Amino acid sequence: MTTVETTEQVHARAGIGNEILRIENLVKYFPISAGILKRVVGQVHAVDGVNLSLTAGETLGLVGESGCGKTTLGRTVIKLLQPTAGRIVFNGQDITPLSRRRMRDVRRELQIVFQDPYASLNPRMTVREIVAEPLRVHNIYKGKEGRARVDELLRTVGLSPEHANRFPHEFSGGQRQRIGFARALALNPQMVVLDEPVSALDVSIRAQVVNLLESLQRDFGLTYLFIAHDLSLVRHISDRVAVMYLGKIVEIGTREDIYDRPAHPYTQALLSAVPIEEPSQRGRRKRIVLEGDVPSPANPPSGCRFRTRCWKAQPICAEEEPALMDRGQGHPSACHFAEIVKPLDLTESPAGAPIAVTGPTSG
Amino acid sequence: MRPTAAAEPILSIRDLAVQFTTEDGIVKAVDGITYDVYPGETLGIVGESGSGKSVSTMSILGLIPQPPGKIVRGEAYFNGKDLLKMSKKELRHVRGSEVSMVFQDPMTSLNPVLKVGYQIGEAIRTHHPNKKDDEVKEQAVGLLRLVGVPNPERRYEQYPHEFSGGMRQRAMIAMAISNSPQLLIADEPTTALDVTIQAQILEVLKKAQDETHAATILITHDLGLVAELAERVIVMYAGKIVEYGDVHTIFESPRHPYTVGLMDSLPRIGVDEEWLRPIPGQPPSLISRPPGCPFHPRCFLSQGRLRCREEEPPLKPIDESTHLTACHFAEELEGRRSKLVEEKAAAEAR
Repeated sequence: MTTVETTEQVHARAGIGNEILRIENLVKYFPISAGILKRVVGQVHAVDGVNLSLTAGETLGLVGESGCGKTTLGRTVIKLLQPTAGRIVFNGQDITPLSRRRMRDVRRELQIVFQDPYASLNPRMTVREIVAEPLRVHNIYKGKEGRARVDELLRTVGLSPEHANRFPHEFSGGQRQRIGFARALALNPQMVVLDEPVSALDVSIRAQVVNLLESLQRDFGLTYLFIAHDLSLVRHISDRVAVMYLGKIVEIGTREDIYDRPAHPYTQALLSAVPIEEPSQRGRRKRIVLEGDVPSPANPPSGCRFRTRCWKAQPICAEEEPALMDRGQGHPSACHFAEIVKPLDLTESPAGAPIAVTGPTSG
Repeated sequence: MRPTAAAEPILSIRDLAVQFTTEDGIVKAVDGITYDVYPGETLGIVGESGSGKSVSTMSILGLIPQPPGKIVRGEAYFNGKDLLKMSKKELRHVRGSEVSMVFQDPMTSLNPVLKVGYQIGEAIRTHHPNKKDDEVKEQAVGLLRLVGVPNPERRYEQYPHEFSGGMRQRAMIAMAISNSPQLLIADEPTTALDVTIQAQILEVLKKAQDETHAATILITHDLGLVAELAERVIVMYAGKIVEYGDVHTIFESPRHPYTVGLMDSLPRIGVDEEWLRPIPGQPPSLISRPPGCPFHPRCFLSQGRLRCREEEPPLKPIDESTHLTACHFAEELEGRRSKLVEEKAAAEAR
């Protein structure tokens, strides 16, 4: 059994407050091939020039709609996908050129938990084998100690060690996700990428799992990259939040910056779409209803990628791509016409029709 | 529109029970539920997966496979006629004209080899066989325009794969309202969609309802959606209705511990808290449901009281009002406000 560390020791080991991960100009394209010769006819720009920095011990929430590249970004960060361009610096080390074998050591510190607890656990392995696998891969599973470590991990995530000999199908979704956490924690990582970790779970189970994630973070000084589309949940769990649209980060800031003082029209539209949880306040939030759908990432619009759905779009938006920088709102946003709007505030009287948003629609 | 005492319900479900026979035993998916839907209103049915919320409406329209499904007992009066006693042919006539449905997954509910316009036209032609082709087309294009599909004339000629998820859901809604139904059943209509598309579909649903004056049953696990759209709410747990009342009462002073737990467990965008307040335990297996109140093993109110374990609480009104709850100790929740109301009061006090 490992000895119990104090919170200070945990934080010292985890280097709380230091930069743990830096992503520079990260690009990930997927080729589109066609014809019998599988010639490459285009590229899906899944992640297109992302810069991010994470501080040890914090939670960075990454939000965006499906197809915006948030999952690809998460997988590229831990190099399950090889980046097309850019650099990933983890603990001061550039991990971009590392071979699979060399990445193994990095992954002791950098783990991932997937969205689907039904697909991410091998159905032919017992829970003990699943949780022990990372230990075996790193040749640190040894006899009694190894067993004790697995039991301890299962207890940490709120499962009983007696369940270790069962198979994944005997567990509910919430319990399976706990098994996934136990596996991710087996090697004492510093950072975990959480890709929609509770989306597949029932409503009444989500809160249990979210609380577990937060207590694990506190106990082990973990850094989280938390990828999700549920804006209320991201607000609850994150210290900082980045908003992604079509492969780019359009706004980033503290939780308060993003939720209370959003500067980018896309962030504002996302927030305004969150249902009001109180029936008596119905109709008192101005809903920005965006027209059209997210354009194809294989052929993103020129200039600002959001301009095809944006009500503020001007000719400059098609010509010049707005940089992600602070334009006087106190945090960076990528809009030529950045301006703070408070979409979550309720208006005094019920608003009539939602704000009609006009703009060219993708026919 | 609020139902008045004088209004006749358009749909009355009485003591409906539906079972599925599986290898592991009999699953009591819906176990004796009773409710009414009034003309023009929106009734929200909230519950988690396996609570029976979808089966409760699918079964009355003959949309569950039988076997393994079986309607064990109950009545479902639609405009005075029992849907459960109708022949398949009669039911087919009701479905798609007087009652129509919008399903969760717009990817699988359209036929991939038929043009979208043809499929909407089919819904119209099935119930109006004498309509001329150009009339049908004109109506279908008009419906696509109504639900906000840009370039409806061109879209009419396209196949489902050329539509995005949000557009397909619009096409489904167009199809559902094509015969001006009296009752629209929307089963998780926005669950598969992105947030900004969800907002669009909500507006379309509201518009469709204004246009057709149809009563709507909104089945969802999303309390926010119910808060936004419904007038009355049914909360289901383990195949039973545990609470039933108007949306304001349910959200502001819930009187069933499950409803309270569900509302408290959600992160709210306007509320700061360090920890969420989860409901402990797991949803019960519907094969071996706990005896007594099905929620008692997870209940903060029960605390092991014998009555909860032995006696199943009936759904009964609170103080003879229209607010019903199925809890032996509902009066102990009196005065308890939901998290959001609590938080708002605290903010005002500051």
